[in-house]
Amino acid sequence: MTPLVQMEKISKAYRGVPAVREVDFDLFPGEIHALLGENGAGKSTLTKMMAGVVDPSSGRILLDGQEVTFASPNAALDAGIAMVFQETSLIPSMTVAQNLYLGTEKALNRLRGTYISAQQFLQSLNFAVDPTAMVDTLGAAKRQMVEIARAVHHRARVIIFDEPTASLTPEEKRHFFALLQRLKSSGVAIVFISHALEEALQISDRITILRDGELVSHGATRDYDRDKIIAAMVGRTLSGALYRKRDASTLRRPGKKALSVQDISQGRAVRNTSFSVFEGQITGVFGLIGSGRTETFKIVAGITKRDFLMGGTIELYDRPVRYYTPAEAVADGIVYVTEDRKIEGFFETMSVAENLFGGLLASPHHHGAVVRMSEMRDLAAEWTKKLNVKAINDNARVVELSGGNQQKVVIGKGLVQRPRLVIFDEPTRGVDVAAIAEIHKIVNDLADSGLAVVMISSYLPEVLNLSDRILVCRQGRIVEELSPLEATEEKIMYAAVH
Amino acid sequence: MDLSRHLRGLNQARIVVAITVLIFVIASVALPGFLTPDNLIAIIRSVSVLGILALGMAIVIIGRGIDLSMVAVMAMSVAWYLQLLNNGWGDHAALALALAGVLAIGLVNGFLVAYADVPAIFVTLATGSFTFGFVRSQLIAQDAVTVPGDHWIIGLGKARPADVPADIYIFLILAFAAFLFLRFTKWGRYVYYAGDNPLAARNAGMPVRPMLVLRYVLSALSAFIAGLLTASSLQSINTRVVNSNLLYDIVLVAVIGGIGLSGGKGGVRNVLIGAALIGILLNVMTILDIPQLEQNLIKSTILLVAILIDGLLNPRDEQTAQQGDI
Repeated sequence: MTPLVQMEKISKAYRGVPAVREVDFDLFPGEIHALLGENGAGKSTLTKMMAGVVDPSSGRILLDGQEVTFASPNAALDAGIAMVFQETSLIPSMTVAQNLYLGTEKALNRLRGTYISAQQFLQSLNFAVDPTAMVDTLGAAKRQMVEIARAVHHRARVIIFDEPTASLTPEEKRHFFALLQRLKSSGVAIVFISHALEEALQISDRITILRDGELVSHGATRDYDRDKIIAAMVGRTLSGALYRKRDASTLRRPGKKALSVQDISQGRAVRNTSFSVFEGQITGVFGLIGSGRTETFKIVAGITKRDFLMGGTIELYDRPVRYYTPAEAVADGIVYVTEDRKIEGFFETMSVAENLFGGLLASPHHHGAVVRMSEMRDLAAEWTKKLNVKAINDNARVVELSGGNQQKVVIGKGLVQRPRLVIFDEPTRGVDVAAIAEIHKIVNDLADSGLAVVMISSYLPEVLNLSDRILVCRQGRIVEELSPLEATEEKIMYAAVH
Repeated sequence: MDLSRHLRGLNQARIVVAITVLIFVIASVALPGFLTPDNLIAIIRSVSVLGILALGMAIVIIGRGIDLSMVAVMAMSVAWYLQLLNNGWGDHAALALALAGVLAIGLVNGFLVAYADVPAIFVTLATGSFTFGFVRSQLIAQDAVTVPGDHWIIGLGKARPADVPADIYIFLILAFAAFLFLRFTKWGRYVYYAGDNPLAARNAGMPVRPMLVLRYVLSALSAFIAGLLTASSLQSINTRVVNSNLLYDIVLVAVIGGIGLSGGKGGVRNVLIGAALIGILLNVMTILDIPQLEQNLIKSTILLVAILIDGLLNPRDEQTAQQGDI
């Protein structure tokens, strides 16, 4: 059988920095091919070359045995190669049906007809999405369904998924995997980029692993296990340290009560939730998407815009507080490290130093109105070393760093404000394996130094491993508190879904 | 996409400096009367007012906004001030009143953009036409208002310390002040952070909204100063300037010098570069006796090209922004 897509000795360099080096990659019809590697390993670049988003520096791409060059993503789409992006590329102010047919509308189209055919089409895929709903009212999972439906609608023969499951709940993941199987049996070739190794092991037929832009390992999935993949990804065995067993001696005792939240409610997202956070330990917060965990802590940190709190009290060190802007919370020593670093975390066109310095400027620890560049350089030198941030050079824009380094910058930007309470929201989302370990160390060190630390996460091994207490959030409230000694993945999940 | 990457290797400010020098050299050789002290001073003087306006505009644009009410504020505030003087008001009272009006417009602009979340382009378009309409219909009698004979504004227009007109000093002083503000003060740095990513700036604890209000107040104040200088050189202010191309010239100076419309980029240096190019260009076109209509055509073409290049150099598109994510 000839491969559907074949990439031969393909390379790509960004301004002289190689991102992909002479990689061979092939893809057969009706297979799910998992593409694994740390962030910065070149997975996205490789697939973007396949989808016409990025031009290769050298090498050949063969489609059905014919050499092709794509002038644009549209040209690739016409040839049957579709890419579903990490950050969805739908138009939020349009309906599902309009997004579905975007770019393929007839010259004269009647909305009603569009809705009827969209309804039929979505039903044929078994997607429970209302075609008349505006995209901005949909959750992450449904948006992804629309993206997939769009790819299928374009009769794509190759669909590339970049981190498709990052924002899905377990239930939605099951649906998604079932859909992948159906696409596969209809002969579609699927490229699956993910950090969730279990998923890759579970659903893929073949695995290709990249490291530093080079192909390090590939073969049939049955020949791999978790340790072997991680060893290939990072070049060393890490999983043991990451998933150690907890015992009572590793749990930190609670210090003073830092934060006490009583019965706060807001809209439908947060309902009558109450909980406390203590100094010197990590309070892990687990909840599925839509459980209100992020919203709850955004209220605490004053991030929520135009928020109308419906009752309830928040006390910081036994003092009632109510923040309307993050500035007030920062002044009181509360730092929120966002889950969405690109949208609201870092300053993308600025350097690492400027990003870190921004945090200091906004904190009460920067005195006076005058700003000195030497101050910024010293701060940057100190914190890039502390957090082990790696940038190509001092002037590199943060957007050019890998996910792990970006996350370290966002964390550093918060820590230079010398907080008393740090709230991490999904601290390791979209972060490579090596950086996950480093970020976990940062979180642990903060708790060891006596700070009150909150860690919101939907990654169960992370919650179980780092937390000294585990709070479970469901439908807008904290419903359960567990000790990591008694908690198991099943117990936590049970509390989160029932 | 490839083009943008090649262009990003070059620096817009450097390209503009090169073009400016090129035009300057060609004009010096080919145009008699160009390279004389008087003409050079005339060039700087012609861009002083424009430059002051562009400084205010630059501060707003760096913070990812735009102020389309500047020309209206400039002309109408000074027209009202002069009208009050002509009506027999004392100088201090008239100046205080006019200044209060200027601050009010700046505050309204800032509050509507910052606290009501209305896009800056609509807010300032509306307040600009409101200012023009209100002042022209209610507060002044004619299109043009003259400066009373013995007023200090006339003196300002005639003052030439070291044989250089006073406008030039004022422009340079303001440019230096803006440079110090943007580069060395906390609030000046906030402008860049808010321009790069307003949400991240807010989350970090920066006073994003008060800073937004401050920027529109600063642009209104710079418009008022520019208006006073205009009145000092012409000994009157003609409110018809509101309907002229001046607004586009301001944006042109800011953008062509390399201040990205997408925010967070550029500084006073870029305003000076833009002002130099436009000043020389206007002067050359005048010496060559190119008619006003053609001059506008040339300027608007340059603005279009500048905005195009700006869009390529400073993309805000999700997919291109992802390119660094390898």
